[in-house]
Amino acid sequence: MAYQLTRRSFLKGLAAGSALTALTAYGGLKYAAPAAAVEAGYPEAGAGAKVFRNVCPRNCYDTCSMLSYVKDGVLRKVSGDPVNTFTNGRLCVKGYTYTRRVYSPDRLKYPMKQEPRGSGKWQRISWDEALEIIARKILAIKKEYGSTLPICLNKYSGNFDILHYGIEGMMSSIGYTTRALGTPCWPAGIDAQTYDFGTLWNNDPEDLVNSRYIILWGVNPAWTSIHSMRFIYAAREKGAKIVAIDPIVTQTAAKADLYLQIKPSTDGALALGMARHILDNGWVDVEYLKANAVGWEEFFEYLRREVTLEWASKTTGIPAGVIADLAREYATTKPAAIWIGYGLQRHTNGGQNVRAIDALAAITGNVGKSGGGALYGHLETWGFNYAAMTMPKPAGAVGVKKPDGTMSDRFININNFGAELLNTNDPPIKMLWIACRNPLSQDPEPQVVQKAFETMDLVVTVDHFLTRTAAWSDIVLPATTHFEEYGVNASYWHYWVGINEQAIEPYFEAKNDVQIAMLLAAKLNALEPGSCTYPTSGNLEEWVGKEFNPKMLDLLGISDYRELKKGPRKAKLPPAAWADGKFRTPSGKIEIKSSEAPKYGLPALPIYVPEKQPSPEYPYRFFTPHWRYGLHSQFQNIDWMMNVSPEPYVEIHPATAAAKGIKDGDWVKVYNEIGYVTLKARITATTAPEVLVAYEAWYKDLNYNINYTVKAVPSDMGKKATGNRGLAFHDNFVNIEKVR
Amino acid sequence: MAKQLGFLVDTEKCIGCFSCEMACKNEYQTEVKPRWRRVYQQREASLPYPERNFMSLACNHCADPACLKVCPVGAYSKREDGIVLQDHARCIGCRLCTMACPYGAPQYNEKDRRVEKCQLCYQKVDRNEEPACVAACPVGALQLIKDLNSFPEPGTVKELPGFPDITITRPSVRFVPPRAGVQIRRDV
Repeated sequence: MAYQLTRRSFLKGLAAGSALTALTAYGGLKYAAPAAAVEAGYPEAGAGAKVFRNVCPRNCYDTCSMLSYVKDGVLRKVSGDPVNTFTNGRLCVKGYTYTRRVYSPDRLKYPMKQEPRGSGKWQRISWDEALEIIARKILAIKKEYGSTLPICLNKYSGNFDILHYGIEGMMSSIGYTTRALGTPCWPAGIDAQTYDFGTLWNNDPEDLVNSRYIILWGVNPAWTSIHSMRFIYAAREKGAKIVAIDPIVTQTAAKADLYLQIKPSTDGALALGMARHILDNGWVDVEYLKANAVGWEEFFEYLRREVTLEWASKTTGIPAGVIADLAREYATTKPAAIWIGYGLQRHTNGGQNVRAIDALAAITGNVGKSGGGALYGHLETWGFNYAAMTMPKPAGAVGVKKPDGTMSDRFININNFGAELLNTNDPPIKMLWIACRNPLSQDPEPQVVQKAFETMDLVVTVDHFLTRTAAWSDIVLPATTHFEEYGVNASYWHYWVGINEQAIEPYFEAKNDVQIAMLLAAKLNALEPGSCTYPTSGNLEEWVGKEFNPKMLDLLGISDYRELKKGPRKAKLPPAAWADGKFRTPSGKIEIKSSEAPKYGLPALPIYVPEKQPSPEYPYRFFTPHWRYGLHSQFQNIDWMMNVSPEPYVEIHPATAAAKGIKDGDWVKVYNEIGYVTLKARITATTAPEVLVAYEAWYKDLNYNINYTVKAVPSDMGKKATGNRGLAFHDNFVNIEKVR
Repeated sequence: MAKQLGFLVDTEKCIGCFSCEMACKNEYQTEVKPRWRRVYQQREASLPYPERNFMSLACNHCADPACLKVCPVGAYSKREDGIVLQDHARCIGCRLCTMACPYGAPQYNEKDRRVEKCQLCYQKVDRNEEPACVAACPVGALQLIKDLNSFPEPGTVKELPGFPDITITRPSVRFVPPRAGVQIRRDV
């Protein structure tokens, strides 16, 4: 619970202060403090340190350029790197805790073995012993099943440094394996923008200062992209109006000039209502559409036929007059930018809603303009070689036969991981390798994931901490932090790319994913020559060098990757995405009527697909979004963070709390047909009456996991670009009751 | 009048990100518990957005510091620029200052059994650098006032709801009050 400054605590201090002041007042008498003694009490942690360049590798918009300060081989403090004009020399509340993460007493120091799994009976083993167990299991599986397909990798966003794709490379290097494919985060929106524009490509976020009107739609940068707020404020100082659209009064909403509390998952209806009003009033940029879009005439027919302001109002809960005003302001104040958040696409109609917003930007001619855009994310700076990831299969490797006669890995859905593990046969999955991930904490239905773990012969987890997942593994391998390894990082939001230098020696026996791959390769080949193709030598900086190609170097305006040691570089891209009008759709235009969407069973037009409704048994929507104190299951476990944010809570609207007889601080149970979570109530009008909010996090000493109630309900899109549909995290319905 | 450094806390801009508080801990690698700077979440119903308003407070380097007055060993002093310094070596951990300060700025550190507090990054100030908390704010909501005597006051206030009576110690802090946008809500 966040601390609050109450009047009472102040008065308490004040009363004591007054009394003591009266007793001991010797007004204004000053002592000269000996400077050296003061200095001794308050030394600057970074004094006399050597400085290295790092990049925060977490799954975050901001991907901060960092500096690390090292003295006597110890990381003394961190700071932002001022070279990066987006992150601007500043970190966030999470980034400033890094010394405590690196030197946390909870960090894994050595490889460990647990027998039996989940018993907590861990024993330290050597790397050689750990690799021997793993390698022998791999070879035994290959012998028994005739392939390495029973070995499954689940790796994703715990560390987005490019070298960490080395763990995918390690899997490739032993043969065809099973891969958890997809992304839980943002695939519906990716596909929506892929159907509309050919891919996702946001304007440079630093270009937001050129906007005259900014709609922050289902996004909460005040918590999840704090460095973006500076550009939003700068635009406001130049006269821009800031609008926030969100079902809950987020921190960002509280800073907006206009906040609209929309009914969850109805964003498409609002966009379509606005589009109809824009159409009726002749505010459409027809010249832009003629030159750059297809399918807009049919879209307008749909709007005239099916959409009215009144319908949009009824669907979204926003008064028709407000929608009309918003439409007028957005269409006539140019350039106008819309930032489409990942929250709004975590619904069964999420991708479709993003498409409606994309269409709104297109018909007003705001796409391809500085200060405009339908901003979602981008991968334009991610054109690395993926050298650590790309490995040949060993001779004789057997995989899944494709229709063309070639073979491939076997893919299961990352977004229904537990059920997929249980239901995959011929051959079944018998061994798991988990890296940069914590599925027992972060996946929906972790109960099912745990059940699936029980069917495994061997579970290996690589992590910094004994996470929920690590705790249910047979072997845990200690991973280096980004201060202990070389790497290179790009952002899916800003345009900067930076190198990550090794600043300190690895903590105890921690190793990087590429180093683990090289060691395992050596072990496998010693046991069975030719069984693994992964290289067995090369330092990590050399591996970083292998990731660059002429196109990437040119994009960054450098001739050698080592130039990045002088500072991160911003990609030479135009500030406005799609400024050249060369869209990457099949038609080369904005496809308001998509040629690709129907191939995936989706509507061609951005029509409204109704939102999911609650049942009488579970009438409340349970939002479980990101919050400021953590990134998924990272950071909340750090002691400094626990000091600021000691316990979880569920936010309940005052009307709902009153109806349920729940008071602030009561213990409540939030439940549905698959599980429950018990936590404290926090009564606040920041949420809506039918919405409960609790934040995803891993508290190392609490049995708290909001995903116990989250079902693996897919969102509508994601199949095309990411291999699997996303997760409708925000279509989770529950009930609530007071327990004490 | 002597020079007086101070903090400007712009609660209109502040997003309650807690970066300032954690940047302070990072700069001095303090023990877990002490919070030399602390971001207070305000739930007062009188504010435009309860729960979404924050006051980031550290030592207010008061014009009339209570800590200095009560300290029996003279560990506190006031610099020419108004920074209230604590000589950590002199502190005997009696905690009188923690009771006297209306703002909870001096805090007892159970590990070394002494009190500690924000020193306004005086080393940085002497090098003409920004204090760590100010340098960390992503939106410019926390600023250093170079001299309160010549600070143009328009648009700022000396108190906000929940802030103690400023006549006790005359804190060197000014606030930009929170501002509310238009809210179109479904629950009213």
